[in-house]
Amino acid sequence: MIQKLNILLSKNRRLLPLSAAMVLFSIAYIAGAAYLPGMRDSQVFFNLFNQTPYLLVAVVGETLVVISGGIDLSVGGIVALTSTASAALLRIGWDPWVVMLLMLALGTAMGALMGYFITYLKVQPFIATLAGMWIGRGLAYTISNESIAIYDRTYSILARTKILIPGLSNPVTQKGDYITISVVVAMTVFAIAIYIAHYTRFGRTIYSIGGNNGANEQSARLMGLPVDRTKVLVYTFNGFCSALAGIFLSIYTKSGQGLLGNGMELTVIAAVVIGGTSLLGGEGYVFGALFGALITILIQTMIQIQGQLITWWTLIMVGVITLFFISLQSFIANLKIGKTSGNTTSRARRNRKVLCYGGGAAVLVVLAAFAFYGFGSGRSSNVTPACQLKPFRPEQVASLIKDGAVIAYERNGGTNCIDEVYGIYPDGRIVGDNGTQQIEKQVTPEDVETLLSFIDDQRWFTDNIYSTSHIPCRICYHYFLTVAYQGQEKTVEAVDGGTDAPDEYWLITGQLSMILPKFTAAP
Amino acid sequence: MTRYKSPFTWRKVAESRLLFPLVALAVILLIDLMIIPNFFRISFQQGHLFGNLIDILRNSTPVIALAIGMTLVIATGGVDLSVGAIMAIVSSVAALLMNPFVLGTQLEAIKNDPTYSYSPFWVVLVLPMIVATICGLWNGLLVAYGKIQPMVATLILMISGRGIAQLITNSQRIQIFYKPFSYIGNGWLLLPFSLYLVAILYAVSWLVTRRTSIGLFIESVGVNARSSLFSGIDEKKIKLFAYAFCGFCAGIAGMIDTSNISTSDATQLGLNLELDAILAVVIGGTLLGSGGRFSLLASIIGALVMQAVTTSMYAIGVSANSLLAVKGVVVILLILLYSQQVQELVRRITGRAIVKETKS
Repeated sequence: MIQKLNILLSKNRRLLPLSAAMVLFSIAYIAGAAYLPGMRDSQVFFNLFNQTPYLLVAVVGETLVVISGGIDLSVGGIVALTSTASAALLRIGWDPWVVMLLMLALGTAMGALMGYFITYLKVQPFIATLAGMWIGRGLAYTISNESIAIYDRTYSILARTKILIPGLSNPVTQKGDYITISVVVAMTVFAIAIYIAHYTRFGRTIYSIGGNNGANEQSARLMGLPVDRTKVLVYTFNGFCSALAGIFLSIYTKSGQGLLGNGMELTVIAAVVIGGTSLLGGEGYVFGALFGALITILIQTMIQIQGQLITWWTLIMVGVITLFFISLQSFIANLKIGKTSGNTTSRARRNRKVLCYGGGAAVLVVLAAFAFYGFGSGRSSNVTPACQLKPFRPEQVASLIKDGAVIAYERNGGTNCIDEVYGIYPDGRIVGDNGTQQIEKQVTPEDVETLLSFIDDQRWFTDNIYSTSHIPCRICYHYFLTVAYQGQEKTVEAVDGGTDAPDEYWLITGQLSMILPKFTAAP
Repeated sequence: MTRYKSPFTWRKVAESRLLFPLVALAVILLIDLMIIPNFFRISFQQGHLFGNLIDILRNSTPVIALAIGMTLVIATGGVDLSVGAIMAIVSSVAALLMNPFVLGTQLEAIKNDPTYSYSPFWVVLVLPMIVATICGLWNGLLVAYGKIQPMVATLILMISGRGIAQLITNSQRIQIFYKPFSYIGNGWLLLPFSLYLVAILYAVSWLVTRRTSIGLFIESVGVNARSSLFSGIDEKKIKLFAYAFCGFCAGIAGMIDTSNISTSDATQLGLNLELDAILAVVIGGTLLGSGGRFSLLASIIGALVMQAVTTSMYAIGVSANSLLAVKGVVVILLILLYSQQVQELVRRITGRAIVKETKS
């Protein structure tokens, strides 16, 4: 039996990391659904895709680069550049479709340029793409040091259009489970990349170049394969994918700024490794990268829904899972394939075995700690924020509005457990009260008017802005914002840390926090 | 031991590893000389030296410390991506030792006292360094004994390191008020104190690598790990040493940076600094990927080149964020300087000089 299993493993050893990624994803999802009631909603599954189409696209290009034996660090830089540039161009009134095409062309050109440097000028991939990343991000900051909001209609249509899932939704009421257009595009890119990688001459050349520490590239060259052209094309394709990711991200966040995609190249490379692609090149599956990305997103979602662990656990978990997959790969690479490989000693083999089991054990320990610390306490006492949540103080807000205030704003929660109410009057007077302390600030009436018209521009009084609520996580805030403007009045509440509130809401609170007075820390 | 003293020849200059980094540094400083007035002025205030050149030296100390460790790692044929994350961990540990109010064990009142530290000063100095070395050892274990590709092995710590750093400080930024600690990054003894620290680090690593056989072993492991194994060099221990030392250097860089900003900043501290360090080493002429011969001094000059670019851009008035783009272009130009075409050109020019010399 064990022998049979061994033979099966040996025969399909290349598929093992891929299937391990799939199995881990399923286990994690099922475990999450078992412990966290919030995960049982089927929309949560589709939201894994909806929230991060940019990551799904970015891993496609990176996988091909890694298979060809290279590495591309420029993903985040190109994402930042394309999102900022498109936001800036849209602001001055360019046609959105032209902007998108231009951005794709820009990313592709950057990729091609890096590929040229790497292939013909023999600059190391690491260095060349590092320069690409810096140039991309630097240019993005040169375009604008601050976030540029996108108000374009096409972009918001692209962001809001729901493609309903048949069977899980009601087409009449337009309610139910859905995916966004970006996801469909991302999946199409995936399908195309899988086709290219496995069914075309170009794809086979990519596989033949990578691996064996550059020796395979030499052999491919001697066989007469178009090595140089393929390498340039691979980086070009990745540039295209990164640009597409940048467009998706600007659609998703409805803004562009130099900070977008910071550290994204790391997540992407980790996802590629988790998806079963060897960083040495020559081995791997584009399909696996999908699961690599999904596992990363799933961990993030679980931590968000669980609501109590700080988000930094995501990084630690991704690191540990990467370790496990790498040790698994190195273990598999060492499995006997019919004959004993000549140049590895039995001791090295033992070391790898130990490493693999050690990595597996580490994953288990961390998962157990996670379950114990996170899920356990989450289940027994529900979510306990840092403080007892103080109730919304509607009377105080109502009295502020009655008093003539145009904006009443309440914020509570956070690590320091604050509870602040602010009122802004049309004459520019701002009053704040955090229960123990009262402060006042004077701004000009024009400032207040600008703020109000900004809020109105976000279509505050339409269904565009709606209330969302869930129990805030330990370091999150709960917001209530009442706006009275031109005879209308509306209160909207939201909780940060979640992803459910409308993006415009955060734009507004961001604008607000700029003019609100600050409480001095309690002595 | 008497050393054979060879006469000065053009060939020696052309083949010196210091040539290209020095040329790069000279070019950048020359541009500064031409377009920025007073760039080279050094003033003497309150017993300290001030000026752009001193700024370059002072601001480059963390990268120099990183580059020293990184040189050894790259010389063994590896790379260490995790140094930035190690710096963040060190920063968190050091800050927690001095001011553990996030654990709820400290009174808020004495938090601002510049003479107060929760742990004794020597613990604050030693423990973070031990943590950093352990981080380096972990990388070394994965690379040397786990046979994992260095870029991947160190990627793990690079990703999870910042998470760990956040975890240590409970995802808060801890301010540091303790005076003696701030001396590490902000103290002056005519020159900035951190400069002396890095000089000592360089001296020690030079002695270890050039006055013992460890340096030779490192080079031989980088050139060909198998054949050095056959000639009796324990390749694994050498690699382990290189990574552990790199972790130690990252620890020093982390202490300098933490003391400089007087805060533990797990998200930003040392961010992308691993890239600067790798680039410094590459500018210093050590081959990324294949390893082999290395020069610590050349790497340090490489780090100075990087910082000289930054400082002169600030002097011109480029904003901190746009600076990245300039840095990217400079990197490409510098690396092209190392391309075969340019190298051959230099060889041809100096070749003529050599012919002349032999004729005369």
